[in-house]
This record gives sequence, structure tokens and C-alpha cells, in this order.
Amino acid sequence: MAQIVLQDVDKIYAGGVKAVDALSLEIRDGEFMVLVGPSGCGKSTALRMIAGLEDISGGTVSIGERVVNDLAPKDRDIAMVFQNYALYPHMTVEDNLAFGLKLRGTPKPEIKKRVADAAKMLGLEPYLKRKPAALSGGQRQRVAMGRAIVREPQAFLMDEPLSNLDAKLRVSMRASLNQLHERLGVTTVYVTHDQVEAMTLGDRVCVLRDGKLQQVDTPQRLFDAPVNLFVAGFIGSPSMNFVTAKLERDGVSFAGFKLPVPADVFETKPGLSGYAGKEIILGIRPSDFEDAAHAKPDWALIDVTSTVTEELGSEINVIFAIDAPPVEHKDTLALAKDATEGEEEETAIPLLDNKALWTARVNARSRVRPGQSLELAIDTHSMHFFDPESGLAIGHPDTPRV
Amino acid sequence: MRQGKYPFIFGFLAAPVTLYVVFVIWPYIQAFQISLTNWNGFSAPKYIGLDNFKNLFSDDNFVAAVEHHVVMLIALPLVTVMIALFFSFLLNLGGKLQGGQLRGVRGANLYKVIFFLPQVLAVAIVGVLFQTIYQKGDGTNVPDGVINGLLHAVHLPTIGFITNPAVALWSMIGVMVWQAVGFYVVLFSAGMASIPKDLFEAAALDGAGRFTLFFKVTLPLLWDTLQVGWIYLGVAAFDGFAIVQVLSIDNGGPNHSTTVLPLEIYRNAFTYSKFGYASAMGVVLFFMTLTFAALTMRVTRRDSIEF
Repeated sequence: MAQIVLQDVDKIYAGGVKAVDALSLEIRDGEFMVLVGPSGCGKSTALRMIAGLEDISGGTVSIGERVVNDLAPKDRDIAMVFQNYALYPHMTVEDNLAFGLKLRGTPKPEIKKRVADAAKMLGLEPYLKRKPAALSGGQRQRVAMGRAIVREPQAFLMDEPLSNLDAKLRVSMRASLNQLHERLGVTTVYVTHDQVEAMTLGDRVCVLRDGKLQQVDTPQRLFDAPVNLFVAGFIGSPSMNFVTAKLERDGVSFAGFKLPVPADVFETKPGLSGYAGKEIILGIRPSDFEDAAHAKPDWALIDVTSTVTEELGSEINVIFAIDAPPVEHKDTLALAKDATEGEEEETAIPLLDNKALWTARVNARSRVRPGQSLELAIDTHSMHFFDPESGLAIGHPDTPRV
Repeated sequence: MRQGKYPFIFGFLAAPVTLYVVFVIWPYIQAFQISLTNWNGFSAPKYIGLDNFKNLFSDDNFVAAVEHHVVMLIALPLVTVMIALFFSFLLNLGGKLQGGQLRGVRGANLYKVIFFLPQVLAVAIVGVLFQTIYQKGDGTNVPDGVINGLLHAVHLPTIGFITNPAVALWSMIGVMVWQAVGFYVVLFSAGMASIPKDLFEAAALDGAGRFTLFFKVTLPLLWDTLQVGWIYLGVAAFDGFAIVQVLSIDNGGPNHSTTVLPLEIYRNAFTYSKFGYASAMGVVLFFMTLTFAALTMRVTRRDSIEF
């Protein structure tokens, strides 16, 4: 086991495309680090550079004190799990598991023991004599994991290993992965575009965008204190609601609403008071809304009319229009573009009169229906404030003070 | 669709099936028939039973031709496949890991074109070409060819590539290999390109060197393509008519040391007018080819591989 350190790592492809831009990241010994970001953000490239499958254009990658820039993949003592599993189709499960060990000249009894252990751990014992073609997707995925485990490497690298599984299996494999990491304690770098996977698996999550590091932190901190508009919008589902608002000492006003800003918010976000009287971008998470009837009494109230409701059983997502245009910042536009798979023209829902659509997540007991008016309570302590120019969170410990 | 199914299928099949029956199946049947006669092409054929087939066994030329086919059957596929595999491996996976992908050696695309070039040459041209390349000088009027010139330059004895009966057959096989390799390089390259790249990456991470990568990963995954190639080459080994006709001296000489069945058939039919006898050879050739193909399929059968 070892720590993995990336120091100012660049990846420049022929033609000058910068896939990874000065990425510095320290992955601690035994940590489960998730690299997450929209497609094309350079997360897979970063992983492949750690694996040695891509040349490193600049900077250094070290695994356990050792700079590995010029080492062949096999000499880096890492194991990788591929998105398509990359099992050898002509070998049985047993041979697939043993292949890497055989090549390294591990003694036969040792191979046998390790393969048996891994097969037991992953529940693959009945399938050892089968070929991959005779396995289901989940079983193949487990064989791919097993192949990494038997090697007992310094680190696991996983490139979207669950994305080819169906939704239900993905959830259970996620849990198994968590368990496995708990048990083996091997440093793991995990790439995904699925932020739910990132949040549930990662000890820490690294958000990338256009090859640049946005924020590295624990899932909870990413959720509670995103460093900029991009991270704020990317992490969390449904995503954060944004509006351009005017900040005053006593509150923040937008779209005909005025919400009080508690005094302790100004205290915990140094520099925020400097924005008094100026425009800022306000962010409110759907989960910081509640039906007034079920909310804490000290939350601020607004009256809205629901446009669409999504009933999820345990809660209801209420989508409503506010009397303000959607925020058009480069960060939020990038997110919208990613959500529509890069098709610039279409947005998810056609906007009514250029009004922003917000989502509130309320208690299922509120029984709100589309078209109904509703009194929503907002947890004003958890509001997020962003600089309208830079898109950075105001008063965030990681951003330079203004 | 359901209603017009049969007319629809029939409409598509009619033309090719008719062509195939008239120009392939029917001549075969005729050959079988003629092989039982003493037809000379002019007078009315007379049935003589299996006499033609009996006579084959005492025909030295026929026996020599069959022996040559056995040699070619072993040498041609073996040598061609080995060289083609080696080249296509180098062209596709021999280079270093670059931009996350295994690449071929530098200039791989140029080599591909060069290797394929002999394939587009007409066999007659290849034959003439190699007459010059193989030529052995007599020290006075006839100059040495390319190879003998080189041998001479390094003071080695020159070789009568097409005049020495012990060497001539191998010279023919050499040309056939030279001409075939390019096609199989392309065939195997296509096979390798269809293997998912992440398998090679996984192998690289597992610690496979080039040798292991080739024998433990590439080769087993290429098995189907290899089998097809082997059969093609085996069938080609039962031919060799054109190259022997053009390149060898005395059409299959010297002293029948390079003769092949198609050449004997041709000679018996059109030189000696022994059409019945030639047809008997054709029938034997037909069954030999068929047996070979069936045997190869049978022996090399493996589970088909899904990715």
C-alpha cells in the first residue's frame, strides 16, 4: 500500500489539446479517492497516467515515494479495473485471476491460495472453470475485481467499473466495493461521472473540469461548502438552484422575495459583508427547502406555485418557476451543456417566459400537486453565495479572500 | 413480408444459384463422368470404368505431383502464417505504448503497403520477375540474378534456384510465400484490430512482455482468423499452377521436380488430349482438397470467442 502523489501533472495531446492541466493531488495511503466530473474533464486520462497507459506530458506522478513517470505499467505495482472488464475471453475465470501472478513468477501453491481467497471473497467459487462469455455482467465485474485483488498491489485504479451494470446491480456492487475497501484497505483511485457513486464511495472526492482540479474534499464538505458554481451545481441531485440576487446587510432579495441572512452566516463567510449592496449569485439546495407545514419554525417562508411535481415516495420534488431569469454564468452553462450531452440548443425543460425553474425537495406528507400554491420554508443558514464575476464561493476557506 | 416471402427469397437466389450450378456444379459432375471414360476430345467417349484411376498410381509424374503438394501443404501455410503473424504483430502492437494505445512500429503504414504490393502483381509478372532474381549466370553470356549476384559477391557458391532439381520446388514455394504474405498481414491486422485495446492494456498491467502478449493473448484471440488463413493457404498449396508454369523450366521441370497436379491435368488434357485421364486427376485433386479443408476445420476447432 502506498500514497499516490500527482504534482503539476499535464497531459497535452498531439494538436495541443490539454486534457489534464497542472493537476496536483495527494491520495493518502489507504484512501478511497474518487475522481469525478463531466465527460471529457480528463478524469480517465489522469487515471491512465497513474497506471502508465498514457505518457505524462509534464509534472510527476509518484506511487509510494517512487516517481513512476518512466516506469512501465507492470513495474508500477498497481492493478486496474476497466470499464469493459477486459477479461481474457479465451481463459477460464481461474486462469484470468491467475494470469498476472503467473507472469510475475509467483509460486504455484501461492497462486492457488490467493485465487481461492479472492474467489471466496467475491463469491466466484462456482464459476472458476467457466469462461467469461458464460458469465453475467455482475459476475464478470467481480472477476475483474478479483484479478486486481489477487495481485495484492499497492493501489487499485478503477475506471468507471460499474457503469456497464444495470441500476439495481450497480447499487449492490457499490456496497460491495465499499466493504471490500474497508476490508483490504488498499489505496484506491476511482473514476466516475456519476456523482452519486462519487459521494457514496469516496473517502474524498476530487471534482475535475476541463482538466483542471476544482475541489478535493470529503463528500459532505463538497456538498456543504462547494468552492465554486461548477462544483455547487455538479454535486447533489437534484442540483442546486441559482439566482442572481441583491445582498443587503439584513437579507438577500431576488424575484420579489426577500430572505433574511442570519448574522452567523456573515461571521462564517468572511468577506461576505463586503458584498452588501452588490449583486451576488445565490444558491439554495433543493434539500434546504421544506413544506412550511413540516419545517422548523425559524426558517424563512416564500409562497410559490408548483409547476411539476415528482413523487419519489419518501419525498416530493416540487419544480416551480421564480420571477427571475436563469443565471447565465459560464459555470452553470457548462453544467447545462453537460446535462444535455453537449447539445447546446436544447435545455431539459423549455423555459416559460425566461423564468428560472427551481426544485424543492419536500416531505411526502405535504401532498402537493402540480399547479397548487405552496408555502415553502428555506433553511437560510445553508444558503450559498457566489461572486457573479468569478463564480467562486464567497468566504470559502479554499478561495482567496476578496 | 410474410406473404411474398418465398418469391422474394427465390428472386434473390435465382441468378447466383443458376450461375453456380451451370458453371461450377455441372462441370464437376461432368468431370466425374469424363473421368470414367477414355475421351480424347475428338472421338466419342467410351466408358472404361476405373481404369484411369488405376493408371494414376503407376504414373510417376502424378505421384511426384502429389508428393510436391504434400510438401507445399506443410511448408506454405506454416511459413506464410508465421511470417505474416510476425509482421502483423510488429505492425499493430510492436511499437511502444503511445497516447494510451498500443501502436505498431514506426512507419507501420508504409510497411503495410510494401508487404501488400506483391499481392496486386499478376502471377505471370511475378514469375518473370523471379526468373531474373533467381537466375544463375554461366560466367560468360548469362549474368547472375540478384540473389546469386549477392552470393557471388561474398564468395559463396551460387545456387541454381530453378535448374537444380533439389532446390527448384523450394524456389517455387519461396515465391508463393513472398506473394501471399502481404495478404495475410492485412488479414491478421484486421483480426488484431478487432481485439479490444483494453485487453492489451490489462495484459500490460498484468506484466506481459511482448512475447507473452503475443503467445498468451494475441494468438488465442486470433485463432478464428488463423484457421481461415490456414485453409486458404492449404487450398493454395493444391494449386501453384501459374507460378510453376511461368517460372519453372520445362513446365514443372527440371525432370518433373516442381510439377503440380493442375499442371499435370493441363498437360494431359491439352497437350496429350487425354481428357478422361486428366479428369480423373481432377477428381482426385477435388477430394484431396475437400479432405484437407474438413480435416483442418475438425482438428483446429475451438470454442468460438466472444468479447
